[in-house]
Amino acid sequence: MAIAVIRFPGTNNEKDVMRVLASIPGGDPYLVPNYDGPGPLARADGVFIPGGFSYGDYLRAGAVASVEAIIDGVVEIAKAGKPVIGICNGFQILAEAGLLPGVLLPNKSARFVCKWINLRTCETKSIYTEGLDSAILRIPIAHAEGNYYCSEEDLHMLKGEGRVSFRYCNSEGEPTQEVNPNGSLDNIAGIVNERGNVLGMMPHPERASRAILGSTDGLAILENFVRATKAP
Amino acid sequence: MSVIREGKVKRVLEDPESSQHVIIEFTNFVTAGDGAKKEELEGKGRLACDITEFLLQYLSDKGIETHYVETLEGPKIRCFRAAILPVEVVCRNVAAGSFCRRYGIDRGIELSEPLVEFFLKDDKLGDPLITEEAVMRLQLVNRSDIGFMKSIALSVNHYLSELFAQQNLRLVDFKLEFGRTADGRLVVADEISGDTMRIWNKEGESLDKDLFREDSGDLLSAYVGLLDILRKTDPKIIPIRSEEVHVMVMPKEGIKNPPGEVTRKGLIRLGFQDVKEVRVGKEFKIVLTRPLTSSLLKGLELMNIKLLTNPIAETHEVRLS
Repeated sequence: MAIAVIRFPGTNNEKDVMRVLASIPGGDPYLVPNYDGPGPLARADGVFIPGGFSYGDYLRAGAVASVEAIIDGVVEIAKAGKPVIGICNGFQILAEAGLLPGVLLPNKSARFVCKWINLRTCETKSIYTEGLDSAILRIPIAHAEGNYYCSEEDLHMLKGEGRVSFRYCNSEGEPTQEVNPNGSLDNIAGIVNERGNVLGMMPHPERASRAILGSTDGLAILENFVRATKAP
Repeated sequence: MSVIREGKVKRVLEDPESSQHVIIEFTNFVTAGDGAKKEELEGKGRLACDITEFLLQYLSDKGIETHYVETLEGPKIRCFRAAILPVEVVCRNVAAGSFCRRYGIDRGIELSEPLVEFFLKDDKLGDPLITEEAVMRLQLVNRSDIGFMKSIALSVNHYLSELFAQQNLRLVDFKLEFGRTADGRLVVADEISGDTMRIWNKEGESLDKDLFREDSGDLLSAYVGLLDILRKTDPKIIPIRSEEVHVMVMPKEGIKNPPGEVTRKGLIRLGFQDVKEVRVGKEFKIVLTRPLTSSLLKGLELMNIKLLTNPIAETHEVRLS
């Protein structure tokens, strides 16, 4: 199905993402530069916001992109219940746009962190984690602002509603502070919106989608996303 | 028309046509030393009214919000009804009057930059000077309104100075009053005339109320001259200047600030052992196309909510001066 992959100035993961999506049966990605505005999103069955450094991460990561006209189109897609996924900078943009609660703050270490981590699929029952019950996935992260933060009420809501999709964990699947790579609240690595159709996550599933890359653990998430674009 | 307030030289009247407006009537009285010296000069009210009309209209054309609506027969002007703030604002370019007495300096000394001062409006106390801190601590006016008044006073100073400069006159100092309208706008109120400012010619001679205060000349003919001079100016060629405001954004208390923590480590390494905490925020310098208004101020708040600040993790403060 038609998947709009949005590129802002500074986005740099769009080619990896397009390649993986095209390799998944039913995935028909097309690139939409931000300056084309929301128009080209009208025919999309789903939206993918890849990672990168939109607008140089100036102001706050994702902040400038989040107020672009094209985001109005993303909001419409989300409202229509179609799947929207934001990876890394895409997650930061979705949070800044208010499509997901909370904010991604600078890493606790104040450094850019680029490494493989273990990810535990959590209590969530969203389309993105189907077939991944309590799985431990090996997927890389690469970010300077991945420290998820939200109010206590929001955290309570996210946990209560089963909206935490992924947590950073150790090899046994335990979300310990030792393996928290960025200081995220409650080891949160990915969350969904109330309706479950919008996912934001800091780790890069597209970088763990082929054996030659070192892991194929991310592929299932992307396959779930493509499948969801086909749902009536 | 019923009288709302009887001032020393003006009367504020109810506007029979609108509760949003009031009518200010200029009398022929002129006073000095808080009314200790008082005289009636035929035609003075008309002149003060015409000068005020000219200057408020001019300031309004440059984007400064004032209470002025229109001039009526009278001499009267229709104005927006506004609750007058309890402090008045004085802006000085050159030392004169009470400033010289206060600091024991000669009349005519140029200040390095325009100076804005606040005075408590209290006749019994003789309208004493009041510091900004005291204004805030006594909760007479809040920090934002103080900043707003200072910014407007400096804008008014710029535009009036440029106007008088066209006729080789020097704006020495002036007084402004501010009022809040029913719809919440903070506007320049009261009159702006020879009664509320000092204007000197090249020789340092006054064209203002100092002639009366000091018995040094004919006030009425000076005011006739002043109005004449104003009518010779060309306000249109004076461009609207940009104004600068600053927005400070800080990480909320209780939220870890890694950039601040590593900066602190660096400072400790350099031997600054007394640095307990460092928090890194941001400062935005925002240059506006025109003078501040209450709606621009609201716009600055919106800018913060919509983009400059992430309210989940940050606080902001708009600094107007």
